[in-house]
Amino acid sequence: MHGFSGVALAAMLAEYAQSATPRIDPTRPYAPRPTHFTPKAKRVIEIFCSGALSHVDTFDYKPELIKRHGQPLPGNERLVSFQGPNGNLTKPLWDFKPRGQCGKQVSELVPHIGELADELCFFHSLTNRSNTHGPAENFMNTGFVFDGFPSMGAWINYALGSENQNLPAFVAIEDPRGMPQSGPNNWANGFLPAAFQGTPFSSTKPIRFLERPKNITAEEDTAARSALRALETEAQSAFPGDANLAARIASYELAARMQLTVPEAASLRAEPAHIHKLYGADSDDRNRAAFAENCILARRLVERGVRFVQLFNGAYASGGRINWDGHFKLKEQYDVHGRILDQPVAGLLRDLKQRGLLEDTLVVFATEFGRMPMFQAGTYGRDHNPHGFTAWLAGAGVKGGMSYGATDEFGFSAADKVITPHDFHATILHLLGLDHEKLTFYHNGIQRRLTDVHGQVIRDILA
Amino acid sequence: MNYFRTILAFAFSLGALAADKTHWSFQPVKRAETATDIHPVDFFVRKKLGEKGLQLSPMADRHVLLRRVTLDLTGLPPTVKEQENFRADKRTTAKAFAMVVDRLLASPRYGERWAQHWLDVIRWAETVGFETNIERPVAWHYRDWVIAAFNRDLPYDQFIRDQLAGDMTGADAALGFLVSGPALQPGQIGRDEEAMRSARQDELDEVIRTVSQGMLGLTIGCARCHDHKFDPILQKDYYGMQAVFAGLRYGNRRLRGIENDDWTAKVPAARAKVQQLHAELEAMRKKHKLRVPLLSVQTETFKPVLVNSIRMKIAATINGRAASIYEFEAWTPEKKNVALASTGAVPSASSFALANQTRHFENLTDGSVDRRQSFPWVSASGGPAWFRIDFPKPVTLQSVTWHNGSSIPADYIIEVMRSDDVWQTVAHTMDRQPRIDDTRAPDKVKLNGLDAAQVKTLTAQISQLRAAQAELNRLSAGPQTFAASFKEPDTTWLLRRGDPMQRLEELSPSIPDMLGKLQPKDATEPARRLALARHLTRPDHPLAARVLVNRVWQKHFGAGLVDTPSDFGKMGNAPTHPQLLDWLASEFVRQGWSIKKLHRLIVTSRTYMQTNRPNAHATRIDADARLLWRYPPRRMEAEAIRDSMLFVAGKLNLKTGGRGFDFFNQRGGLSDYHPKETFEADGWRRMIYAHKIRMQAVDIFGAFDCPDAGQMKPRRTRSITPVQSLSLLNSPFANRQAGFFAERVRREAGEDPGFQVKYAFRLATSRDPNPRELAALKSLAEQHGLEQVCRVLFNTSSFLMIP
Repeated sequence: MHGFSGVALAAMLAEYAQSATPRIDPTRPYAPRPTHFTPKAKRVIEIFCSGALSHVDTFDYKPELIKRHGQPLPGNERLVSFQGPNGNLTKPLWDFKPRGQCGKQVSELVPHIGELADELCFFHSLTNRSNTHGPAENFMNTGFVFDGFPSMGAWINYALGSENQNLPAFVAIEDPRGMPQSGPNNWANGFLPAAFQGTPFSSTKPIRFLERPKNITAEEDTAARSALRALETEAQSAFPGDANLAARIASYELAARMQLTVPEAASLRAEPAHIHKLYGADSDDRNRAAFAENCILARRLVERGVRFVQLFNGAYASGGRINWDGHFKLKEQYDVHGRILDQPVAGLLRDLKQRGLLEDTLVVFATEFGRMPMFQAGTYGRDHNPHGFTAWLAGAGVKGGMSYGATDEFGFSAADKVITPHDFHATILHLLGLDHEKLTFYHNGIQRRLTDVHGQVIRDILA
Repeated sequence: MNYFRTILAFAFSLGALAADKTHWSFQPVKRAETATDIHPVDFFVRKKLGEKGLQLSPMADRHVLLRRVTLDLTGLPPTVKEQENFRADKRTTAKAFAMVVDRLLASPRYGERWAQHWLDVIRWAETVGFETNIERPVAWHYRDWVIAAFNRDLPYDQFIRDQLAGDMTGADAALGFLVSGPALQPGQIGRDEEAMRSARQDELDEVIRTVSQGMLGLTIGCARCHDHKFDPILQKDYYGMQAVFAGLRYGNRRLRGIENDDWTAKVPAARAKVQQLHAELEAMRKKHKLRVPLLSVQTETFKPVLVNSIRMKIAATINGRAASIYEFEAWTPEKKNVALASTGAVPSASSFALANQTRHFENLTDGSVDRRQSFPWVSASGGPAWFRIDFPKPVTLQSVTWHNGSSIPADYIIEVMRSDDVWQTVAHTMDRQPRIDDTRAPDKVKLNGLDAAQVKTLTAQISQLRAAQAELNRLSAGPQTFAASFKEPDTTWLLRRGDPMQRLEELSPSIPDMLGKLQPKDATEPARRLALARHLTRPDHPLAARVLVNRVWQKHFGAGLVDTPSDFGKMGNAPTHPQLLDWLASEFVRQGWSIKKLHRLIVTSRTYMQTNRPNAHATRIDADARLLWRYPPRRMEAEAIRDSMLFVAGKLNLKTGGRGFDFFNQRGGLSDYHPKETFEADGWRRMIYAHKIRMQAVDIFGAFDCPDAGQMKPRRTRSITPVQSLSLLNSPFANRQAGFFAERVRREAGEDPGFQVKYAFRLATSRDPNPRELAALKSLAEQHGLEQVCRVLFNTSSFLMIP
């Protein structure tokens, strides 16, 4: 069901002979499709911290920053960044401690995640081209700073389909506090057929129109569907072999299966108390409990074969109130956000591991950029920093307890093994058995890729 | 932010293209001979079919023809009456059909359908895009202009001229074309030179994309960057094109026309009223011995005094917002400012606000009043506030100047601490007439020598003057529309690798070499744009007409003769019927660039009128019917589905034009859009009249590939997804309309349940049900009611397809 006209489909089939372009069966758009080579990961959970999580306060430990607290940043004493002039270097607002066997320094803002340091592979030298949230979020999740390009999840859905034909292949789980800054761009299909877009729902927000209208009984609904089926079969007999008509019938059948399957998959009632507790879903903090439930939902979805789950932590621009954009009272706001993020994410990782799912599930933890090692002049927070920031991977095919690349001694700018989101994307696709240069789609004059014309797989981190 | 290199592959394709001037689409249009006894479209289509041993299929049934052409030309199904008339028409099908076509082309519903395609092509929307995505509240005039252009069959050459130079042709709204794309707002642009230049380059890049893809069918916009591997002339083409628009500005412009003339006529009276109110106010001021109102940057002068410190106590601002001052200057008799941090002055304040940017009191003495580069002090909350500046050693002051911040003080005193440690007032507002924008309640205004009643009279006069002045401003500015405006062009440079900080040589306006030269060469505003318009409307232009007729063909048949409709370059596909494309392009120009004549020509062909039924033999040879051995049926577009549901339910509101109705809880903004669940009459207008928000897929119909104006969409995808099925089966919109549909059927079809079902089926599908269809629906109606029948009909292929 995807949606090409027969014409585009024919063009696609012709191309398939020469390239690795996915071959889509219109009646089964989410049918599993072959990888380019043997994959390490079969599915992905991407945790995205919207608003720009401060790397210097979490995972990027800088003793020199602590030592030179209160002094100007050498060489950039009068730095003007996104919001204006910066003040002096400001040490991390939480203490760091060595964690796990690897001894990785992680701050007290995220102690639960810190405990799992041996599972995590940190990238400390990521850079972004934009220092503005929207475009930078676009870049991290679509490979372009501009609006209108397909999201990573859509590309992966297009490439691989799904292992479960009764659930959406790509689910975007919003933060209970609201949508991320670039909103649906993060899970858009862009110029790919609409079938590959992410389906947004969460523990607090069901799939739109999934349920039968309240004023229609089950019996009426069944009768209506069976009449519809009769009419469509009739139409099909007049157009034997018409792929679009077959696809329409299939789409109603898939919708019906989703109506049965999604509520079961999304219901956390069957989860035992100790699982709720592990994730922090028993918390009195409503936002923390809801985010924890989103994390449990993410696990339930990948367990059922959903290909790509996007899990947002942090909402839209709000002066840092409900996302990670800590410009003016970072300590106070992050103390709240950290508690919402930390235990649920750690719980998710532990749960995936104890179920063996971490073997073939890739967990991606990312944000749009980092924050300055200084406070802004006249505030108690840090400005945007696209010059160097941290993300991590865990699970399938990834070395644990590893740190790749580094920022300078203050965490201001990526200094060693500098990488871009294109490299990050190329690596994720590689783990899924996809060659990022071969996964293409023709649009307005060009064979488009998630990685544009860039991207190098970061081989050092492959297990 | 050097992301320009991302488009190298484009530059490459253009490189190959420019080098290859023999590429088909740059060659002159060649009009081939046709036979006299056959429709020219059929002549060319049959010729191609013949080469494959295929032929046209038989003529489609009348009910199919009527439904096809009605949906195709107007986006709505035929009424039952129209079905009956056409069925009963005794003339030949060809003759009767031609009459139908004329009727449909004359209907205002035609422009409402076809305008949408042009809006898709240029990704027109009513928000700015990017992060803030704020509303462009008066952008809708352009949408109405496009609809009207189609309805009155504005010749396409004039359609081009108006959109490139509507300021010269008297079509202001048409200039919405050039600024249809996203653009950063001034507040979103960084504070450094590079950010400002980049933003300007991005703005102009959107314009070039709109013009080159929309009108030329070329992706010139993509040659913005350059890598030394490729031919440098390509980049020159890009910046030459940019020079054509170097005077362009995004924003509102005056919309000339009847309303404008009316407003202009009212200006003298409005001005006289302002003058009169002003004179009365001035008389009051003199009578009460008040000083003139405060300025936004106010200097207060006093007798020289030796001081250690100075403070300003702000009791109220003109509108109740928190006290805020950008910069405070304290002047010695020698005109030297001593309130500077750099000379040791130390500021303090009652409080300061915490925001994404500094609002600290240090901003008072930073020596900068450049509002792009520095910041104001802002008190943490509304109400009384103070700041103070201590000098390192006693200084003699004679005056002070304050610069307003995010608010303007209305009620304050300024005091100095003399060298004898006594505070002395040097300035206050007790004898100031309030400003015209001072909106404090009368009882909050305290003035020396005036009692409460006198203050009330004074503030009432001020508020009258404020209203009169606002009205004068509105009338003088005239009605506004969001459209391009123009000033003298900036210099255009060739940019190394598209980097705005690396300027190479200056360039004059030009078009790509293979298309010719712009004349005159050294034109300025508006001659540059007029030159481009002249070039594009040359009768022998190789691209303009070909691109347009292909767009029209695509909408009639679901695929263009060239199936990359905005890319006629080397990366695009070659035409399936090159001779037909050329013949249509040549005929189109010959017929005065009339789009309606083009429609008539195409839809009266046997190619268009043939059946949609597949046959096994032809399917084996040409499965997708690109050679048109049958008419290719396809799913309707999102707008046609919604409009048809409303039409069939008897609820479609045919009100045309004006401000759009809402699909969301808000008309623009950062985030947090919530779709509206229920609509009333205004929301039952045709979907083209919905307020268009960039990057927000519309509820229900977004899933049917309705583009979100994030990217140019010359051709829609046609998805089939379970989300569509859920939306049409379960959404409140679909079910409410199904309910209205059932009511209508009961009202119009009478009591007989069998006939009710038949009638509903005719309304929805423009034909009679066959016995099996009728049986299935009749039994559903008997057991579960007509509403379920109507709900099912909205979900059938027979309703959703253009047959």
